Amino acid sequence: MTETQRPATELKKFVPRPSRPPVVVTYGVTGWLRKHLFGGFWDTMLTVAVFSLLYVLLKPFLDWALFKAVWEASTRRECLDLSPDGACWAGVIRWFNNLIYGRYPNALQWRVNLGFAFGLLWLVPLALKPVKHKIIIGIMAVVLYPFLADYIFLGGDRSTLHGMFACLALGYLALTYINIALVYAGKRQLSLYLEPLLERVSMKYADLLSQLLCLMALSVLIGMALHDVQLTHVPIDRWGGLFLTIIISGFAIVMALPIGILLALGRRSEMPVIRWFSIATIELVRSVPMITVLFMSVTMMPLFFPNTIDLNKLAQVILAVCIFAGAYMAETVRGGLQSIPIGQFDAAKSVGLGYWHTMFLIILPQALKAMIPNIVTSFISMFKDTTLVSIIGLFDIMLMARNISIDKNWYGLHSEPLVAISVLFFFICYGMSQYSQYLEKKLKTDR
Amino acid sequence: MIDSPVQKRQDKQPSKRVAIQIEGLNKWFDQFHVLKDVSMDVMENEIIVVCGPSGSGKSTFIRCINRLETYQEGEISIFDHRLGNDKNSAVLIRENIGMLFQSFNLFPHLTVLKNCTLGPIWLRKIPEKQAIEKSMALLERVGVADLASKYPGQISGGQQQRVAIARSLAMAPRIMLFDEPTSALDPEMIKEVLDVMIDLAESGMTMMCVTHEMQFAHQVADRVVFMSDGEIVEIGPPEQVLKNPEWDRTSQFLKHILSHA
Repeated sequence: MTETQRPATELKKFVPRPSRPPVVVTYGVTGWLRKHLFGGFWDTMLTVAVFSLLYVLLKPFLDWALFKAVWEASTRRECLDLSPDGACWAGVIRWFNNLIYGRYPNALQWRVNLGFAFGLLWLVPLALKPVKHKIIIGIMAVVLYPFLADYIFLGGDRSTLHGMFACLALGYLALTYINIALVYAGKRQLSLYLEPLLERVSMKYADLLSQLLCLMALSVLIGMALHDVQLTHVPIDRWGGLFLTIIISGFAIVMALPIGILLALGRRSEMPVIRWFSIATIELVRSVPMITVLFMSVTMMPLFFPNTIDLNKLAQVILAVCIFAGAYMAETVRGGLQSIPIGQFDAAKSVGLGYWHTMFLIILPQALKAMIPNIVTSFISMFKDTTLVSIIGLFDIMLMARNISIDKNWYGLHSEPLVAISVLFFFICYGMSQYSQYLEKKLKTDR
Repeated sequence: MIDSPVQKRQDKQPSKRVAIQIEGLNKWFDQFHVLKDVSMDVMENEIIVVCGPSGSGKSTFIRCINRLETYQEGEISIFDHRLGNDKNSAVLIRENIGMLFQSFNLFPHLTVLKNCTLGPIWLRKIPEKQAIEKSMALLERVGVADLASKYPGQISGGQQQRVAIARSLAMAPRIMLFDEPTSALDPEMIKEVLDVMIDLAESGMTMMCVTHEMQFAHQVADRVVFMSDGEIVEIGPPEQVLKNPEWDRTSQFLKHILSHA
């Protein structure tokens, strides 16, 4: 009783004790082995058993793939003579160039490399910290880069408009890099030097105008510099290999999210026409095998377009793959939207945000973040699924690989190209998955 | 606890202007009649505390005021403008009403500061620099300025709720609605949030609070509304409703809440 009635001044004063660094447990390699693999009799037995099993299972494969493999030969016969039960990698190596570039003329393959190099250059600023307005750079990449890439890959006589877009793309890329260089050098963005001049014309749009002016000036300069450059025409049916696979899946991956987001929002819309249209698209496309969609795109799509529009097989396939990817993505995005607590909508509404603001500022960023693993999974499967286009006669990496086995020098060489492609795909897909994990960590905000 | 005399501010002048007018509000969830002919006027600068047992419709009632819930019958007017399903009503609500929730509902993907600047920048089109300055001042006012660059998941519940207050204030509302703002907090955090609310009340904000904090009701409320089963049972000054209730339901509820306080 007296305890509780003690006056406050006589209470003992509580001071939290200082924190201690966490305990670190280390064993070293032998310690780790002992703890995890040889902890006791049964542990040891199990370890031995598992390792023997692994040896038995892997030995034949390793023998075939590495120890008895032939790396240098000019025909399959030569391979078999050297080592009858080893892999014949020589054929894959001979054909490697074709696996990557398809039947693109050897002398012109630098154009493919150049095109992809520009693409990579465009992506680099997105990974740099001090760069602002990354979303605009990203959108510009989606809008302008295809024109540039198409111009470089296809070559030949193109319309002036097309050339202008390609120059615009180069101009934007140059502007981005000039700005980055200026920011790193501690100076202001290029457009800011022009802004005071334009403020006399229009105060409100001075910023935008000066940026546009810079872009135009650079593009015109580039256009004039490249005026005389003539690129030989390489028809689309010579495109192939990994190059073609990346083009098709690149379109699918880039377009999947915007299409998917629109379809997912449409499916949740309260407007019946939009909702039913979205549901019909999603369900129809999802319920049909990809192969039939591809066949239909080649055989039936021309019926829906007026004769004046000249479609090529690649464009049709890309269109089909994009719709297909979008429909799948729509359901992934919808799953993400449903994982957002209703309180977020309430809060957004109570702040006063309307539908589009709520969706694009509050809900979608959270939904997409929660869905990164699923989104990347569908990106990976899209990348792999695009190998199906070999069925309708596009010479993608899959068809090139099968062509090795009908080359008269390498007749019957089936397994090696497929294994080689698997390895190649593994590295690309594993890279995507690692990037997604990095992204998840980077975007994590709860701790 | 309530018996201890509470210092109440004396200088407050009752306003003549009606801030919120609610007339004959009826709402059904399917067959369930949640709100039954609810009518009341809230004057400008008035502090209303709404209390009542769970399921009495008090949350639904205040959520109707900023149209987070639709209602089938009745009328709500804000400063003499009748609210409807139109764009003007949306703007009117956005410009005048802020709201706080039991579960805070901060935007978890944005920093504390960005939570506050989002509305001003995107809706009021205030330049970013100005919006940041104003938001920092508000965060200072609610005592969490040092957390501006943290994410909501990294701070305590009490801090989150105070950020939520700053976020609402950033839109410069004239009316604030509180939906059980302290129910998810532990006693020490309740106090830090209530202190901010008392500060707000004293600054002349029109407030409607659904809360079980009877101490708060005594200290700042001008009128207390007791709801049960979708109806307003009693309405009046806290001394009257909380000390000498007219109805048995009120006194029964108060007995329960006091035995737990």
